[in-house]
Parts: sequence; C-alpha cells; structure tokens
Amino acid sequence: MIEFDNVSLKYGNGPIILKDISFSIEKGSFHFLTGPSGAGKTSLLRLLLLSLKPSNGKMSMLGQDVSALDTDKLLQLRRHIGIVFQEFKLLEHLSTFENVALPLRVLGQQPEQYKENVTELLDWVGLGEHMHSLPNTLSGGEKQRAAIARAVISRPDILLADEPTGNVDPELAERLLHLFAELNRMGTTIIIATHELSMIKKFNYPQMALKNGGIIIK
Amino acid sequence: MSLLKFFKKNQHSKDEYNSPSEIVPVHSVTSRTLVFLIAIMTFLSALTLGGLIMVNKSASAWSSDISREITIQIRPVEGELMDANLRLAETIAQATTGVSNARALSIEESEALLKPWLGDDVDLTELNIPRLVVVELSDPIGADLEQLKSELKIIKGASLDTHDAWRAQLDNMAKTILMAGVLIFTLIVVATLLAVVFATRGTMASSQQIVDVLHFIGASNRFVAKEFQSRFLKIGLKGGLIGGIGAIAFYMLLGLITTSYLPASSTEQINALFGTFSLSLVDIIFILILVPIIATLTAITSRITVRRFLKQITW
Repeated sequence: MIEFDNVSLKYGNGPIILKDISFSIEKGSFHFLTGPSGAGKTSLLRLLLLSLKPSNGKMSMLGQDVSALDTDKLLQLRRHIGIVFQEFKLLEHLSTFENVALPLRVLGQQPEQYKENVTELLDWVGLGEHMHSLPNTLSGGEKQRAAIARAVISRPDILLADEPTGNVDPELAERLLHLFAELNRMGTTIIIATHELSMIKKFNYPQMALKNGGIIIK
Repeated sequence: MSLLKFFKKNQHSKDEYNSPSEIVPVHSVTSRTLVFLIAIMTFLSALTLGGLIMVNKSASAWSSDISREITIQIRPVEGELMDANLRLAETIAQATTGVSNARALSIEESEALLKPWLGDDVDLTELNIPRLVVVELSDPIGADLEQLKSELKIIKGASLDTHDAWRAQLDNMAKTILMAGVLIFTLIVVATLLAVVFATRGTMASSQQIVDVLHFIGASNRFVAKEFQSRFLKIGLKGGLIGGIGAIAFYMLLGLITTSYLPASSTEQINALFGTFSLSLVDIIFILILVPIIATLTAITSRITVRRFLKQITW
C-alpha cells in the first residue's frame, strides 16, 4: 500500500531531514511513528500526505508512483488519505458540523446526502451537542475529536495522525486510540505519530522509529 | 451504535439542512472594500456608457436634421430682381424630386439671422444682404440635388448649400467623442479588473489556511477556484448593483434638475446639445446589463488569479 524506496527529504538548501529511508506498509496495518522531537515525524507525515515532494528516491502510495502524477491526480489520490493535524486545522468560520462535512462537500455530495452521517459521527465522537458551535468555542479535546471526525468521515484508505492525543487527557486519549483501532479493524491503514510511550505500550502496535534521518521498523 | 454500523449505513437522510455555509467567507474587510470599489467603477462605467448613448443619439439627431434641410443662397447681382429670383428658386426647388417644401426667408428673417453676428447697432436695411431659400427634403437620399444645382444656374448669383461640410465636421466630432468615451470605458473596466486581481491575491494570502485544508482533504484546484469565484461573483453582483442603481438615480436626478430647476432657455440649450437626460427603458436595460457583465468579469478574473496562485503552491 505504501512503498518508500531510498527516499530523502530536505527543505531547500537546508539540512537533510530524512535520509534514504526505505519501508513498506501493508494494507490494513497500524503503526506508531515515533522518534525524538525534530526527528522528522511531521515531515514524514507530510510526505505521506503528498504535501511535500521527496528530494530523492521513489514513493508509491496505493499502488501509484507519486512522482509520475500531475497535480489533479495527486489531489485525487489525497482523497484516499485522512489526516489529523496536531494543531487541528479546523476552519474557524465554519461550525463543527460543517468542518466535519467538508471532505464530503469536496466529493460533490449534497447536504441531504451527508447530513445524517455527519450528525451520527459527531454523536459518536461525543460532539453531538456542539455540532453547531464554532471551533473557537470548543476545548482542545473537542477540537481534536472534530479533526478526527473530519479525517474519517469519507472513510479514507489511509489515516495519518500527528500527535492526536497530545491535547487531551489520558482517558480521552485512550478512547481516541480505541477509535483508531476500530477504524483499523475495518480495514483502514493507520499511522500515528506520537511520543506517548504509555499509549504505544498499551496498544502494542508496530513502531516506525525515526532517528538521525533514518527509520527502523520494530 | 458501533462505528462499523455507522459506516456500513448507506441511507441518507433528507431533512431541512440544505444550505451549507460558504467555504470562503463572504464578509471581510477586503470584500467590503472591493464591493465599494466595484460600485464606484460600475457607477463610472454606467455614466460613461450613458454619456456615449446620449452623444450618439444627439449626433444622429443633429445629422438627420441637417441632412433634411438645404439652403439656396442668392447674392444680390446688379440688374437682377431679387424677389423674382427668390420666387423662381422656390419654384425650381419645389419641382425637384425628393423636396417637400421650399420657402424664401423674408428680409426680416434674413436680417434676424445676421443680427447675432453683426450686433443691433448696424442698420442692415442699408446693406444689400444675400437672401436664402430654405428647402426641406422629404427624402434626403433620393433627392436629386444635382438636377437642382444645374437648374439654379439660370438664376444669377444663386448657389446651393447642402451643409455637407457641417455634417462631416459633426460626424467627426461625434466619432471623436465616442472613441474617447470607449477608451475611458475600457480603462475603467481594466482598472476594475486589476483591482479584482489585487483583491483576489490579498484574499488568497489571508485565506491560506482554507486553501491548505481544502488541499489536504483532496479538493482539486478547480474546486478551490470555484469556491473563490463564487465569493467574488457575489461581491461583483453586489457592487455592480449598487453602482448601476446609483447611476440610474444620478441620471434621474439630472433629468429632474434640468427640467424643473433650470430656466427654460438653459434647458433648451442643454437638450439641443446633449438631448434630454431622461432615461428610456432601453437605456436602463443597457446600464443594468453592465451589472452582470462586471460581476462575471470579476468572477472570471478571480478564478484565473486563483488558478495561477494554486499552480504556484501545488507540486
């Protein structure tokens, strides 16, 4: 599903962030992406999200060589990838409901088609009462759940999450991890960047550890 | 309900939620400024267009009036009887094809024509002034003026003035005014579009997060451009309507002032030069057509600007 072959990344003329990393991720797998701060976890996630171009090497996502794709095809491929950002990236002028419904609007669905699904998903992540609230009235944990709901509403093949439990209490963090686990059981490939060792130990999924620009799968 | 059950559901509800919010917010300082700017530009465009229509109408009316009237001038010649020559000229003219009427101006009428040029102090009775026969044409194109000119040769001192030189000058003046108007109109439209380009770039810069989020969730550049285009179409329509209605109100006010508050003599002079300031239904339609045109141009310009901007930020 995801193939990296000697992929390197650097920003402009800056230092190399990722150096000749190679790995393969199977469909339906669950990985924690770990490493110290500055190791390149977010950069690797952005490569996986196709928002950065590798400086070197070959990258294949969902069976397609991404270097051969034009902008339109690349953006289409991105519809199969859900992302949860550390800083949420919710649109402040849209309600929680409309933020979550955004990927479905991009797919061309009409309100009558997605209204029920979005409402039920918001209920499921515990935001049913906040569906008409604007993001700036939500707590960190609520924003995080809204961001997760937005990432999964269109049932992506791959779900990427950057420190998704960084802004929530341990109880909610565990609940969110269970949510990811359930999505994974339904076939979604999941990669979660985190440095919370307790969670990593508790859920015991394989780790992709970044260190000194390289990667080790353990 | 489990998440699995949720995702396996294929049914969609149909209830009252049918109007999603704008992805790109319409209300912002930039958009208010742009609405104001487009309103001013539409107002100026409508005024220019109205002016062009008015000049065109007046020039056509002048040209038509002049072409429907020609003059036979008879200079005093020693040994010739002026009154007899005037009557002969009238007869010859009336017999010419395409002429509806011919009338010799009386001595008083001829003197009255000269008074504005020579002043009241000059005693015109002492002067042997040329006399005129005004010939009205029923068919300016079909009138046989060559025959008339030829037959007038039997009257000594008679000549025919068809006012061609005047008409040519008038046409040239009208064309020059029209060209200047078209140039001003084009410049206003270009300035409006440039302002839209700058406003779009400003909006794109301040909406970077919206563009990022849309890209991260897989929105195509076409989708993003459409969202921005729809926002700018609304801004263009709003600004255009304000400017268009303002221009119509302006013309109505001008019409009211010229007919109600200016002395009758001034109104006559203004009407003779520019025509009346009242707007016909066709004129109002012309001005209102400007509104969707400006709104569409605004939307298209913003779309092109957005597409260019997006090309720069996507790989």
